Amino acid sequence: MYGGGNVFEATKFDTLQNEDPAKLAEFEARIARGEKIEPTDWMPELYRKQLIRMIEQHAHSEIIGALPEGTWITRAPGFRRKMAQMAKVQDEVGHAQLLYSAAETLGKSREQMLTDLINGKSKYSNVFNYPAFTWADSNIISWLIDAGAIVNQLANAKGSYGPYCRALDRICAEEAFHLKYGHDAVVHMATGSPKQREMIQAALNRWWTPIMHFFGPPDKMSTHTEILMRWKVKMASNDDMRQQFLDMYVPKIWELGLTVPDPNLKKNPETGKWDYTEPDWEEFKRVINGDGPCNTERLAVRRTAEERGAWVRRALLHPKAKYVKPLA
Amino acid sequence: MSLTSLDPRVTRLNLPEGELPPAEPKPELDQFETYETFHQKKEGAAYTYVGPVHAPNEEVAFLFSKEQYSRRAACSGMWVARTSHIMVTPYVGDAENVYDVIRLEEPTERSEQREPYEIFHLKKRGKAHTHAGRVIATSYQEALQEAKQQFGDKGPIVNVWVVKSKHVLQSAEEDKDMWLTVPEKKYREATAYKVMDKITKYKEEQKSTAP
Repeated sequence: MYGGGNVFEATKFDTLQNEDPAKLAEFEARIARGEKIEPTDWMPELYRKQLIRMIEQHAHSEIIGALPEGTWITRAPGFRRKMAQMAKVQDEVGHAQLLYSAAETLGKSREQMLTDLINGKSKYSNVFNYPAFTWADSNIISWLIDAGAIVNQLANAKGSYGPYCRALDRICAEEAFHLKYGHDAVVHMATGSPKQREMIQAALNRWWTPIMHFFGPPDKMSTHTEILMRWKVKMASNDDMRQQFLDMYVPKIWELGLTVPDPNLKKNPETGKWDYTEPDWEEFKRVINGDGPCNTERLAVRRTAEERGAWVRRALLHPKAKYVKPLA
Repeated sequence: MSLTSLDPRVTRLNLPEGELPPAEPKPELDQFETYETFHQKKEGAAYTYVGPVHAPNEEVAFLFSKEQYSRRAACSGMWVARTSHIMVTPYVGDAENVYDVIRLEEPTERSEQREPYEIFHLKKRGKAHTHAGRVIATSYQEALQEAKQQFGDKGPIVNVWVVKSKHVLQSAEEDKDMWLTVPEKKYREATAYKVMDKITKYKEEQKSTAP
């Protein structure tokens, strides 16, 4: 699963002026031809920086996203659900490893990325700063957060950076199970007893704002991303991805007789697009900057795992080991 | 005071509450060296690159690779090589052949005995390196020269990896049964969830109870 809605740093166009114009032209021509960029190719610093930032955020989201769902493994109702939930969580952690390696090929070490995560210097998807109160919350995450992630990842898999595309191809294949598993779990609740319906509706109500936040601020609020689109770093605008998600999943929510807690949500027959109430973007900013219900807990859990396991890694380290970044 | 969570297991970790001083930067090699993994999708298929892992040694790298790359997909064999043992040529464009472009340099190091090397080709950028075959040589450069003669004229080749066979940990023929665990875990497959049946049934029930 993935926290979309990358908040890109304001792109400084003056930094491009330091780049060799001939190399830059060659680089852009390669992307325009539809060829992928591989790690040893020349690339503008801005491309490298934004990709590291994006892939690293994606990796952190996978590893932190495993925490609210991991909580529910022991309390999932029934053995089969425990096994499935465990398999899903294991997938997410595996995705983090694939993504860290893809980011490493660009020159940032995994040690540095993990340090930046723990110290709050790098972000992860905002949705994981919210708690999963009940089993129904876990179901909504499995279905709709993963659905949002898939919209995002399928777009990014067509991007220009080879190692990221390879990682995403593997990830998307595994997400198919997550989506079906989550949908099945939600359908089970929604078609169950009145109490179960009430639980799943309450969870959907709680998660709707984070889901709308998931794709990031509206395009009119986002920094200029034209050049990142041309370089195929960013493959679709936040609003386009949000629209695509609404198109695919609102009908599936409605067919279960569930409601979405936004009275203005409807498909506009003239524009063919969804009208909706903008979620509270001040809340988004506040939570992403550390002041959400679970930020402290998520980072504390991650930090403790790193610190308490450090001695094992030190004991295993071969004295002659020498780091080389992964090839592809 | 320690941190209280909705999850009692997290509460029991006794995590410190409140602002913590920034964590020390992780020491170099905290995450170990990297290894590159190749898998064989089915019996007789060429080994193909699947991705890297971090590990303290070759054996652990193999275990991690098995978890990471064969857990969810069909696999009938796996090779693992330390990244630093792989020699990489430059990359060329998708329409080119790297063997036509590179100048083969004089080897800086030669082994006394001829030994086998594994050759991997990347046919298209963004795709995965695939095993082209094995050559016998006394140096990486000579191995590349041999590879050019034996496999070098088959269409575009964007990039070549060369690694000594002795540096590749290969899964053994007699351990084959270790790859058999995938099919028994149906709950990890999208096809195990018959969601539409449940939705259709629900809709019919709604219709029949509607006034």
